[in-house]
Amino acid sequence: MTHRGAWFLLLLATYPWLLGADLLSSSMATWGLSFFISGAVIVTPCRRLKRWQCVLFAASIGFLYEAMRPIPDGSVALVLVFLAIYVNSYRSLVRSASHVLYAAITINAVVTLTWVTIAHLQCAPASSVDTFTFLYLATLQVSLSAILAALLISPISTAQNWVMDAIGLPVADITA
Amino acid sequence: MEKNRQGAKASYVALAVFIAAWVMLPSAFRRFNREAFAEFQAPALQLLSKSRDLARYWELRSRSDEELISASRDLSRINAALELKLQSTDDIRRENARLREMLRYPSSSEYLTVVARVISRDTSSWWQRIIIRKGRNDGIRPGAPVVFGNHVIGRVSIVHQNVSEVDLITSPSFRCTAFLDGDVPPRIVHVGGMAGNSLSAPRAKITVIPNDYSPPAGEVTKVVTTGLGGVFPAGLIIGTIEGDVLPTPEARLKEATMVPSKVLDRIDEVSVLIPKYPTPGEILMSPTEFLKLEEFK
Amino acid sequence: MSVPSAPLNSWRVLVLAGIFLTGFVYVVLGLMYRQIFQSSDLVRDAENQSQRVVIRPPARGIIYDRNGQPLVENRVRWRVKADLMALQPEIRKEYLKLLSQSKQESYFDKPDYDKLQENARVNVLNRWLSKIWFVVDDNYQTNKARTNKVYPLRDNPERQVNMDSLRKHLRESRALKFILISDLAFPGSPASRTTEEGDRAIARFIEQFPSGGPITLESDMVRSYPNGSLAAHILGYVRDTDELPPNTEGSDDLSLASLQRLKYTGKKGAAGIEETMDPVLRGRSGWELWNKTSSGYNKELIRSSPAAQGTPVTLSLDINIQKAAEESLSNIRDSVGRPLPGAAVMMNVNTGEILAMASQPSFNPNRLADRVTNKYYDEVDANGGWLNRATQGLYAPGSTFKVITAIAGMRNHKVDWDDVLDCGPFYRVGNRNFPEHEPVGFGPVDVEKMLAISCNVWNYRVGLSVGPELLALEARRFGLDRPLLKNLNFTTNRPFTTEIPYPATRMVVPDPDYKSRIGGGAWNQGDTANTSIGQGFLLTTPLHMACFAASLSRGETRTTPTLFPYTGEKVVHEGTQPIGLNRQQLEAIRSGMYRCVEEGTAKSVKIPGLPYMAKTGTAEYFKTGVKAHLAWIIGYAPADRPVVAFAVLVEGQLDTSTWGGKTAGPVAQEMLKAWADIR
Repeated sequence: MTHRGAWFLLLLATYPWLLGADLLSSSMATWGLSFFISGAVIVTPCRRLKRWQCVLFAASIGFLYEAMRPIPDGSVALVLVFLAIYVNSYRSLVRSASHVLYAAITINAVVTLTWVTIAHLQCAPASSVDTFTFLYLATLQVSLSAILAALLISPISTAQNWVMDAIGLPVADITA
Repeated sequence: MEKNRQGAKASYVALAVFIAAWVMLPSAFRRFNREAFAEFQAPALQLLSKSRDLARYWELRSRSDEELISASRDLSRINAALELKLQSTDDIRRENARLREMLRYPSSSEYLTVVARVISRDTSSWWQRIIIRKGRNDGIRPGAPVVFGNHVIGRVSIVHQNVSEVDLITSPSFRCTAFLDGDVPPRIVHVGGMAGNSLSAPRAKITVIPNDYSPPAGEVTKVVTTGLGGVFPAGLIIGTIEGDVLPTPEARLKEATMVPSKVLDRIDEVSVLIPKYPTPGEILMSPTEFLKLEEFK
Repeated sequence: MSVPSAPLNSWRVLVLAGIFLTGFVYVVLGLMYRQIFQSSDLVRDAENQSQRVVIRPPARGIIYDRNGQPLVENRVRWRVKADLMALQPEIRKEYLKLLSQSKQESYFDKPDYDKLQENARVNVLNRWLSKIWFVVDDNYQTNKARTNKVYPLRDNPERQVNMDSLRKHLRESRALKFILISDLAFPGSPASRTTEEGDRAIARFIEQFPSGGPITLESDMVRSYPNGSLAAHILGYVRDTDELPPNTEGSDDLSLASLQRLKYTGKKGAAGIEETMDPVLRGRSGWELWNKTSSGYNKELIRSSPAAQGTPVTLSLDINIQKAAEESLSNIRDSVGRPLPGAAVMMNVNTGEILAMASQPSFNPNRLADRVTNKYYDEVDANGGWLNRATQGLYAPGSTFKVITAIAGMRNHKVDWDDVLDCGPFYRVGNRNFPEHEPVGFGPVDVEKMLAISCNVWNYRVGLSVGPELLALEARRFGLDRPLLKNLNFTTNRPFTTEIPYPATRMVVPDPDYKSRIGGGAWNQGDTANTSIGQGFLLTTPLHMACFAASLSRGETRTTPTLFPYTGEKVVHEGTQPIGLNRQQLEAIRSGMYRCVEEGTAKSVKIPGLPYMAKTGTAEYFKTGVKAHLAWIIGYAPADRPVVAFAVLVEGQLDTSTWGGKTAGPVAQEMLKAWADIR
């Protein structure tokens, strides 16, 4: 098996998690917060997929998040792709379970900070959010993303690893 | 490992090239990309919504006969009352049509109503929207007003094949005109969403209130649609004014905060009012028009 | 997963970690900064040293007519602006297109780059304008027919970019947004004809025009004159000012003046009632004392006193009569079809309340609410529109003066009410024949008949026998040369504020003294004859003649006009005295003026069911060397119990086709009809 379609199978396997996060956002709509996990879900695949597959996977995850939200095209996807390439190139950064956890938290937080900033810049003229309020809101949103990543990375990672095992991808060869 | 890092440099270069290409790509491509990913998600969302309906159905199935009988009795009473009301409404409608005919006044009530279920709500400090289970296939068009009863919910922003995204009143991209209670003769004010801080209820902002306006004392000031903009029918309730009507920094005008009339996270079903004829704004924004979308981005 | 640890000193890792760290540090520090600001007394103390007073202009008071109809109000103005910076790429593209076009057309000529640049800019702006009009234009029928391919191209020049204003904008305020449509909802603008259409234009723009682009809608509050130029000379207009009305409430212990101030521009009355009643209309400014942040933002409101809208002012004018007066006045044309300048006044004879006071040509104060553009100023100036002809216009009263000649004759016992004089086709004074306006003369004429037919010869004879001094005395008794300067008791910087804006002060009732004072030489009999028929040196205003008619109707000599409604207090007509005629004499004058309408010079403007008194007049004057006529009519109504008095004047231009009854009469007729309708 050449595993050419591995990234797509992984995407299908990951999508329910994203959907779950959307549902959570929907039922917690009064909070006015987005339950964002798209950053966390790219970490595990990056350990085992080939780089081009990583890129496709990360881009798709990013575009899925953007597709139904009024944020500029590509803002999440391109950041995710950049981070995916980086993690894929320095696999030693995610060599152990605890490293994966740190990476998931960091990546999820960074991507959140990115889209929050871009969304703010885009709607700044219309909304009455000033800089201080923005900092407060961004902190809330980033913290939530970090917490979500910390809580969910373990089950997500287990599920994704299971799918990759099933496809027959080689186990991560991480030698620092 | 070395090989991997070598390749990484090339990947970054490739990424940089891609970003450059992305920025320069025609908007049609980006729109297509976005649309493709939205359509990818749509079936899952629909499935979700339908399964929720199914769950509700089975929940209802489990009710006792007693409950159903009393519910049906209540309903028939309400039905009778409504029928009576409908009768008088019909008379008024005919009278209205006749008067409009006499005055050669354009009829503003030419809307097709499409009822749609809400799939999910997506709110943040920067956007406030819901996704509904009707789309292009059902004749939904962007810009159409979305209402619940006589309350304004928002406006359709993007339409997909079978689902649509609706910008709520509180969304920063939402804007409409309104009249305020107690303003005689009524003067136009501007309503625009301002989302709000997370963990606090979202609000809209009313601006361009004439500086000699003061709200009627001791009453809740209602904000209603004007019906002049060719989008919203007249007299729908948008919300109520919260707090004081205060002068703007330049003091030439006043502004106020508005609470939307409907608690938006409780709504399961909405009506989309689709104008019979496309509005000029719609024609202007349609991609087939020679006007390109990016002129507005 | 036990693997050897990676060398973490790799600079790439450090850089990446650095970027992430900076992001978080930014957020955390921001939050801490905020916390510190909110809780630390130390910082607050430091902040206290930098306070700022913000002074906010109030809304001006509204001006109503006597029935509570608003004559002047405040209105939101909506203007559409274009961000030229954001349009730059589009303009550049258009420029390149034009450049390649011009090169194709003439290969050898060097193109005019500046011109091309300008054309590109105008093309782009016009394209946006046509999109705006496409959305805003409220024509439902065409909307229905509109398809995706039909695109309305406007050939209305008013709806296109004004080259002059664009050039001016680029020269003077390039950094600001360019005003594409200066007043989207202004009734009468290209956007809309009525208020409702204006509202619709705004609503359509807001709800349908895509937001977030280079085109924005901005709004502010302006003074609005909903009836356009109606009563413009009385109402006046406003102008920007930095001197805001004072407000010292609650600021006793503060020296607001010593603090840094932030003031916004307010409005002050610059003419008419807006100016004379400014102390009432302007209201009270609001002030706020703020702590400001180090970067200069207002941070915390310490104390404030709100702005208070100016007190409304109610005028004695009646909008319906005013409209009737202005419309009929503007309908008067000379033989070539040109509109003629003129004035009309109607007042209550008992209270002196002015019900209507019109002057043509006029101006539209809406166009002056912002800043007087030189172009509009010059335009009005060229028409003579700034002059309030009712109060400032000085005219020979013509035959309307014959009433005074008759009164002078009877009071000085030179003629009595039943004396009949034989009046031929002319009267010889010195070596000159003074003509009658009827070639064959009128034969036997008494006071009553004289007033009905306006006989000249009767007046020459009576005037000459009375003599110039007594004639002038009589005219002065009626106050024809007395300025109507009723002071308003405001403490303003100006020496006095008159209730009637811009009263004339240089009226002339001539006597031999006057003639020698102006260096006109010795008074002769001819001067007396001229004065007796209201010509020669005599100069007065339409308002004076209306006051005269009002006084006459009451059998008195003076009426003090007012622009404010009667409050129920005792009316004092300053300097008035009984007219000094016996019952028959007064009756002769009244029935003469009655016959003037019934069968005399004003019979063409008789109103069935409303008998009234009038005296017409046609005075000759020279307009830039050409003989022309001033058409007059004064009078009062109804005949049995007078309530209103009126005076109308029309300035003939360049020819003598205007006549008192024929030209000025219809205006009086329309005013009386309007008055009768609301009576």
